[in-house]
Amino acid sequence: MNAFSVAAFNSGLTLATPEIFLGLAGCGILLLDLLIGDERRHWTAALSIAALLITAVLAAGVEVSGPVTALGGMFLVDAMSQALKVVALVIVAVVFVYSIEYMRHRGILKGEYFVLGLFATLGILVLISAASLVTVYLGLELLSLCLYAMVAFDRDSGRAAESAIKFFVLGSLASGTLLYGMSIIYGVTGSLELGTIAAAVQGGLATNIGLLFGIAFLIVAIGFKFGAVPFHMWIPDVYEGSPTCVTLFVGSAPKIAAFALAMRLLVDGLGGAHVDWGQMLVVLSVLSMAVGNVVAIAQTNLKRMLGYSTISHVGYILLGILAGTSQGYQSAMFYTITYVIVAAGSFGMILLLSRHGFEADRIEDFKGLNARSPWFAGMMAIFMFSLAGLPPFIGFWAKLGVIQAVLGINAVWLAVVAVLFSVVGAFYYLRVVKMMYFDEPVDAARIDGSPLMRAVLSANALLVLLLGIAPGALLVVCAHALP
Amino acid sequence: MESIYLTIVLAPLVAAILAGIGGRAIGRVGAQSVTILGVATSFALSALVLKRMVFDGAPSFDGSVYTWLVSDGVTMQVGFLIDHLSALMMVVVTFVSLMVHIYTIGYMRDDPGYQRFFSYISLFTFSMLMLVMANNFMQLFFGWEAVGVVSYLLIGFWYTRPTANFASMKAFLVNRVGDFGFVLGIAAVLYYSGSLDYSTVFAHAQAIAAARLQITPTISWSAISFTCICLFIGAMGKSAQMPLHVWLPDSMEGPTPISALIHAATMVTAGIFMVARMSPLFELSNTALSTVLVIGATTAFFMGLLGVVANDIKRVIAYSTLSQLGYMTAALGASAYASAIFHLMTHAFFKALLFLAAGSVIIAMHHEQDMRKMGGLRKYLPITYWTFLIGSLALIGFPGTAGFFSKDALIDAVGRSHLPGAGYATVCLTAGAFVTALYTFRMFFMTFHGEERMDHHTREHLHESPWVVTLPLVLLAIPSAVVGWFTIRPLLFGGFFAGAIQVAPTHDVLGAMASEFHGPGAFLLGAIAGLPVWLAVAGVACAWLFFLKRPQLADAAERRFHGLYRILVAKYGFDWFNENVLAAGARRLGGGLWRFGDQDLIDGVMVDGSARTVGWFSSVLRTVQSGYLYHYAFAMILGLASLLMWLLWRT
Amino acid sequence: MMFETLLFFAFSAVLVGAAFGVILARNPVYSALLLVLCFFNSAVIWLMLDAEFLGIVLVLVYVGAVMVLFLFVVMMLDVNLEELRKGLAGYWPIAAVVAGLMVFAILDVVVVKHLGGVSLGAAPPLPADYSNTRVLGEALFTRYAYPAQIAAVILLVASIAAIVLTLRHRPGVKPQNVGEQVRVSAKDRVRLVKMAPEKRP
Repeated sequence: MNAFSVAAFNSGLTLATPEIFLGLAGCGILLLDLLIGDERRHWTAALSIAALLITAVLAAGVEVSGPVTALGGMFLVDAMSQALKVVALVIVAVVFVYSIEYMRHRGILKGEYFVLGLFATLGILVLISAASLVTVYLGLELLSLCLYAMVAFDRDSGRAAESAIKFFVLGSLASGTLLYGMSIIYGVTGSLELGTIAAAVQGGLATNIGLLFGIAFLIVAIGFKFGAVPFHMWIPDVYEGSPTCVTLFVGSAPKIAAFALAMRLLVDGLGGAHVDWGQMLVVLSVLSMAVGNVVAIAQTNLKRMLGYSTISHVGYILLGILAGTSQGYQSAMFYTITYVIVAAGSFGMILLLSRHGFEADRIEDFKGLNARSPWFAGMMAIFMFSLAGLPPFIGFWAKLGVIQAVLGINAVWLAVVAVLFSVVGAFYYLRVVKMMYFDEPVDAARIDGSPLMRAVLSANALLVLLLGIAPGALLVVCAHALP
Repeated sequence: MESIYLTIVLAPLVAAILAGIGGRAIGRVGAQSVTILGVATSFALSALVLKRMVFDGAPSFDGSVYTWLVSDGVTMQVGFLIDHLSALMMVVVTFVSLMVHIYTIGYMRDDPGYQRFFSYISLFTFSMLMLVMANNFMQLFFGWEAVGVVSYLLIGFWYTRPTANFASMKAFLVNRVGDFGFVLGIAAVLYYSGSLDYSTVFAHAQAIAAARLQITPTISWSAISFTCICLFIGAMGKSAQMPLHVWLPDSMEGPTPISALIHAATMVTAGIFMVARMSPLFELSNTALSTVLVIGATTAFFMGLLGVVANDIKRVIAYSTLSQLGYMTAALGASAYASAIFHLMTHAFFKALLFLAAGSVIIAMHHEQDMRKMGGLRKYLPITYWTFLIGSLALIGFPGTAGFFSKDALIDAVGRSHLPGAGYATVCLTAGAFVTALYTFRMFFMTFHGEERMDHHTREHLHESPWVVTLPLVLLAIPSAVVGWFTIRPLLFGGFFAGAIQVAPTHDVLGAMASEFHGPGAFLLGAIAGLPVWLAVAGVACAWLFFLKRPQLADAAERRFHGLYRILVAKYGFDWFNENVLAAGARRLGGGLWRFGDQDLIDGVMVDGSARTVGWFSSVLRTVQSGYLYHYAFAMILGLASLLMWLLWRT
Repeated sequence: MMFETLLFFAFSAVLVGAAFGVILARNPVYSALLLVLCFFNSAVIWLMLDAEFLGIVLVLVYVGAVMVLFLFVVMMLDVNLEELRKGLAGYWPIAAVVAGLMVFAILDVVVVKHLGGVSLGAAPPLPADYSNTRVLGEALFTRYAYPAQIAAVILLVASIAAIVLTLRHRPGVKPQNVGEQVRVSAKDRVRLVKMAPEKRP
């Protein structure tokens, strides 16, 4: 605990420009929204998207030569934080673009969705840049609170309210365990700052039973945020119960937050105890891959299926983290980013197909899509192939990366398990493709959607393909972020 | 310079994409304009590159432009190796492609797939250039497969015809066999040298030569021979050498411009080019060279014979292509790489010319290809007649034509080789000269001379083809006639390929010939006294006698040598063997394995069984997801408790 | 010292007992009241740890505001907890086992193993004029200014969320308009009419 200096604090504020801007923009948009009539609500959306993109530019523009802590040691900017922030911000902007039409059709196009989304994004940014247990916790709570409210956003839907309550209660439980774990770790190491904790762990506390005990509690919270088995129970219900635009939000950017949470707590803070938390993650990872992939097969609801698919992908992300090597962290980051891109597109397809009074969230609703729109059937096929991990789509490189990472630590059996379950997983993704191309359409409605949404969705799919063909740039970003 | 190379490659690709997806937005004229512009750009720039290298002495270029990925220390990149060999190939490819593009305007005028066709041939040009300009095996393989795909698409271009579909499938499958060897070869290269870059691999050539491939503890093969033979198997597939030649005659189901461009002038020579490119490797293995020599010579003679009994005008030319590819391959085997490339170049010109001329005939005959229904076309199609004649003369190696110089030098070079099998090869190639002349002029006489055997309706509509068809004929006829005069000295004896092609001193047959070479004129005079020329003349005479003067003699010969005739008509039974033994056997084996392995074991036990098991698990696990909040919370607590107990139990 | 230890255990015992009561009580009002008891006891323990400010804030905020609100809600909603708990009865044994294991594990690590035996040393004795409130305030507005701001955003989000989830504009409902009510004057409401007295018929 070095002395506090006002000058240092103020100079550190420039590093937090993106966060400050986003917070102010959220407040500003909240007020402006009052002046905008219901029929011009899309202005709120446009302003929010603009705010996100400006924040992304600001985040990319923050110049640091190496990891820098600021704001009283609570705030950390490094290469990983910058990359993750930009991705999260852009993804949220894309999510907003996808959501507008859907909400308009259902009469729930309200400014609060965007404001809550902006604050949730602020929570993600805080979490990404957290350098202290306090900021980790606050960022997580800010994000979670926004998400709870967003899930319940469609007040006329009983299912949404039910899943919001489940999400809230389970989330509170996870927060409770997180706080308990943090307090134990504080008790053992005597500090809230991750840097100091890391030094203490390196200094001989790595095998301390109290520390490991605290880690077990942290793992619960991390597992919950990721949706890893057995802390995954909220995912299918929340994914299915929420309005699809919220499912899209919950299913995309917060995964980046979860990754940041795991990296900050486990790697930055408790890297010295890798042996132990690595073993705990092995269990979570294997269970997630197994349960996620196997149960997804029995689903008829596409949102629920994608929920289980998320669980399985989390298993793969954890594989990278548990490897405990920089190659593993890089591959996990690569996996997270690519998964988020693909997930955003997959939910975006559901939003594209849905219309007034029709949710398009059953797998059957995609039957014969090729006959209705070959272009978007192709886009959906790209997403599904990528989720299944087929080359040359981006999902293949992601899976390859984490499998190489576990091979790098000689955990051959884990690699075999990962491959086996990805084969199981391929079944339900390819079933969607089969239905699109070989079944007769049940629904013959024209596919419309704003030109902007169609363009962004197409760009999203083509990005998945392009990154699959040339993954080099993103690999370099990840390697740079986690040297 | 890199930007020039990139433009050369990318111009046809961009054109292909525009023509392919442009649809109605750019229309037929748009499609033809954009693709011709694209390939013309490539041709002009290729010519510029060749000029700079040959006349201005620009150094060769070897560099990568884009790194695709690095995996386990192996870099896969897009890169170009531009030396005299690839520069020459680029000019040949783009020139013939340009001619074919122009020709296509006339030939495909009424076809509904007009734009698709232009898109394909531009795509082909791109792929072929990628292959030729590659500086690494990965890109070579990309181009190799890409031209294969385009070839498949184009053979099956008229996809409503069952025969075309069969032929495209056959080409694809047979090429797969070759590609299997090719991939093995590339893998061996990678295994022994640790790199896919030509320069690195060639630098490691001696190391590969020293390595042995341990098959069993007691048997080991020479690694270099294994590698080279595997690579050559790839070349056999692509360049249609026996016994992987069976797809080429069937590929004539594709439109004629394609037969000219892909199945005569360029793609099928990819194998020849590849072996020449790999000369630093092949030079180290006498075994591989002998194999190449014998297979090439066999193909050259025995495939030529088949041309004598074929009646479809395009098939005759196809067999002659096989035969000529055999000549080139034999030259490769004799280490006369330069000679093979020289023949490749002249062959590209005169064979494209012959195909396009045959196409002109076919247009005039309303897409009738059977020579027995032609005859006497000379007066209806004067331009076609004369250009066809030039092409035929070049093909049989008539003194003075381009084909003469390349082929005569080639036979001479093979004759000087001391490798095992060289004697057999020389006999085959020399006798091949007679056969070549015989089938070529049989075709020529049956088509353009003699009685008019077409029906009345066709005869009334006979007229010369439009200028877009005849212009390429004339433009191709010029190099077919004269290019040999200018190029024999630099290409064969002038060290043109120094640096690109390596020849071991003990194999250097061209070096031996160089001392006796005193200019093309002297070469011409010297060769007139040689056996091949006289055999060719004899072939022409026989053709005249048997098929024009006294056709009944041919019928008599057919009855007299009935057995031989049957063998030839059955094409030595390769197709029968493939279809009834290999394909049917594979089908039977597959059927058996399918019934036992697939249906019973895999479907029954593993797939259905595991699917049932997974489905059962799935439904069980699904019930855990009960919807009750306290179940969910309990699951989390249980998870936490397990982690804690594990920690305590462990310490 | 002895006396303080005794007090600590006494209050802790009440705290734990009350906490059990919160989850075991059948009547939700009892649960809420027992939770108040929990908070009081925690506040006392905090006071004993020299954390006066936190102890008082706990009473003021949680007992004074949050729990009162909670009681209002519980009483207004009239939730029948018996109904909700019906399915739970069968889970008691297994829940007890798991809970027992958890308690055992925590006791083992915290009490028996003393968190692995780390010792951060006893806290230095505080001077007589030490002000808990002042120190907390200083920390909150200097070193912890950033977390404080985020906490503020969290509160903002909470209020937005509460409004989003509850504020409804129902058509056809006539709500009170306070502004209008305030603005009215007597003459808008009452009209004095002068009229001649009528004769009884």
